Amino acid sequence: MRASIKRPPTPDAEDEDQDREPTLPEIINIKLIESGEKERLKELLRERLIECGWKDEMKSLCRSFTRKKGRSNVTVDDLVHLITPKGRAAVPDSVKAELLQRIRSFLQSAAL
Amino acid sequence: MKLQNLALTTTMSSNPDHQIHHNRSFVSNPQHQSTAVIVPPPCSHLEEFKAGRGATAFGKLLECIRVRPLGRASVRREPNEVFRCSACRQASQRVYACVSCAAVVCDIHAPDHEHEIAIDVDRAELFCCSCGDQVYDRDFDSAIVLSQTAAATLGGCNSLCTPPPENLRKRRRVDYRPWTPDSRERALLGTNSSLLPGNDEDLSSSSNFPVGLKGLNNLGNTCFMNSVLQALLHTPPLRNYFLSDRHNRFVCQQKNGVHRNKNERNNKNPQRLCLACDTDALFSAVFSGDRKPYSPAKFLYSWWQHAGNLASYEQQDAHEFFISMLDGIHEKVDKDEHKPHSQGSGDCCIAHRVFSGILRSDVMCTACGFTSTTYDPCVDISLDLVPNHEGPAKTSTKTHHSCNGNAESINSGHSSGTSTLMGCLDRFTRPERLGSDQKFFCQQCQVRQESLKQMSIRKLPLVSCFHIKRFEHSSIRKMSRKVDRYLQFPFSLDMSPYLSSSILRSRFGNRIFGFDGADGNEADESTSEFELFAVVTHTGKLDAGHYATYLRLSNQWYKCDDAWVTQVNENIVRAAQGYMMFYVQKMLYYKASEKQSG
Repeated sequence: MRASIKRPPTPDAEDEDQDREPTLPEIINIKLIESGEKERLKELLRERLIECGWKDEMKSLCRSFTRKKGRSNVTVDDLVHLITPKGRAAVPDSVKAELLQRIRSFLQSAAL
Repeated sequence: MKLQNLALTTTMSSNPDHQIHHNRSFVSNPQHQSTAVIVPPPCSHLEEFKAGRGATAFGKLLECIRVRPLGRASVRREPNEVFRCSACRQASQRVYACVSCAAVVCDIHAPDHEHEIAIDVDRAELFCCSCGDQVYDRDFDSAIVLSQTAAATLGGCNSLCTPPPENLRKRRRVDYRPWTPDSRERALLGTNSSLLPGNDEDLSSSSNFPVGLKGLNNLGNTCFMNSVLQALLHTPPLRNYFLSDRHNRFVCQQKNGVHRNKNERNNKNPQRLCLACDTDALFSAVFSGDRKPYSPAKFLYSWWQHAGNLASYEQQDAHEFFISMLDGIHEKVDKDEHKPHSQGSGDCCIAHRVFSGILRSDVMCTACGFTSTTYDPCVDISLDLVPNHEGPAKTSTKTHHSCNGNAESINSGHSSGTSTLMGCLDRFTRPERLGSDQKFFCQQCQVRQESLKQMSIRKLPLVSCFHIKRFEHSSIRKMSRKVDRYLQFPFSLDMSPYLSSSILRSRFGNRIFGFDGADGNEADESTSEFELFAVVTHTGKLDAGHYATYLRLSNQWYKCDDAWVTQVNENIVRAAQGYMMFYVQKMLYYKASEKQSG
């Protein structure tokens, strides 16, 4: 099969991508990552979600699910699919607002 | 019969701190799942992968480990690389880099990939594409942890770096063995002791009370002292120390009398101050079997001499008295013994031997991740009283989730926002972002940076005293107030989630082993379990209030309200307003040995 371990496999669709303009969300994402702001936002989000008990909530959901199914019958995928919808819905509005505000000010400062 | 209990418990108390502990990750003890790291066996794919390659199996990818400022490890070939799944071209939330061919797949397309073992790029954790689940490998985790600690400590090595050895020396809890005197010992008992005043003379119900229960008269707003004394009189290691004559006040007086003549000729005051002697006298009086309330006047007078600024008939703070009393015992005993001791080891005096623990404080620079660690001894832990979860508990979003009718599983344990002791401890050990006005000087950055501070417990004391900060004094607004909020506290407490090893572990992601910060002196499960034995409560207002103590003896609860001692139901205790809670290591609290012996 493919030879070298170091070389990532050549995606066939690469040429197509280069013709397409990066979308605005993609540009924003790249800018966020390059400036390190994404990392800071992630840390902020982590803090807020711990403070408001969201993390504990998700943890106990996972625990009860695992207890029911048995530890050896649960995979990471199962847990992710379990808590993703609930988790998204359970984020407090204040946290959402705060992050949106941070992103907004970042965009303004990055003059996009 | 009392001797029986003492003989056992005295020997017990010399064990706890002087054993070397290795990590407890290989303990698969089902009762302690909250803390023991149960080692999951590798899946067949991981086994196969490692079979041919050994420890260098992950070599290439380990070179791409980057540690971000707050210590999280990730896999990046270039600093701000954005990984895209080779199948769907999305930069999804969970992306895995194959260890064999460096292809990158998202969780949806992972099962289709030809190789099995991959790394979650954002978390630096192993994943098996076939099993669709996280897998663990010792060599891999060691390497990750090594790079993380190198980043956090400027490459300087402490034992955070070395992964703990595989063989676990598990500390055995010494089993309770009942003891009865043999004939020689019986003879000794006969000649060297005298019978206590017979209990059958006392017709009141208090004759059925366990020994050592005695009321303390209020000498003028001294309930703050009485309440703490009652708790200390029944602190198992402290009680055992004094009742086994380890500080004999007559011997001590003689010794100090000699010293005084040599060194303190100018001291005209005939009274020599030794709070430990006064404590010894107190123990003798209280455990004498005489049920009449005792007036601790001599003790009060001695304490006034030690804590001059608190000497008045005004109501004082019970916690302040507690600290001051321990300090008084330490001062006198330490001076006499001249023992060399390291801070927090408790070798200096009985007060510290019983109450002294070590707190660890980590301050992390948010810019570069450099962590500065300090250790401080402490004799108690003061906790802020906060509601369990602020914010969402009050908004409507949380309660109105129709998540397939699983509403109760979401709200379980987080309902009314009742404050609990464990909630306060969670708060105490949570990373706290220091304000921009409190910037910490970072050694690596060489400037003041915003930082994150986190407390944890490096060494647990034999007896943990939790002080709830109910009295707020604001010097700015020149007012004080009392926080009456109810606090729920458990009768049994597991302190392992608050130990440094547990707290540190969470910083490294999901790793296969637990750690400790320094020289492997780690408490294991048996010393993290505590039992409640005394609660000092405060009722009333800040300046016009009253202290009382609830004691747990032979699994019965008694209320000590100055001179009045009554048996109470445990629900009364649960509903009380706790101000100071005293927990003793379960190992030193043998329920069996406290059975009433008639």
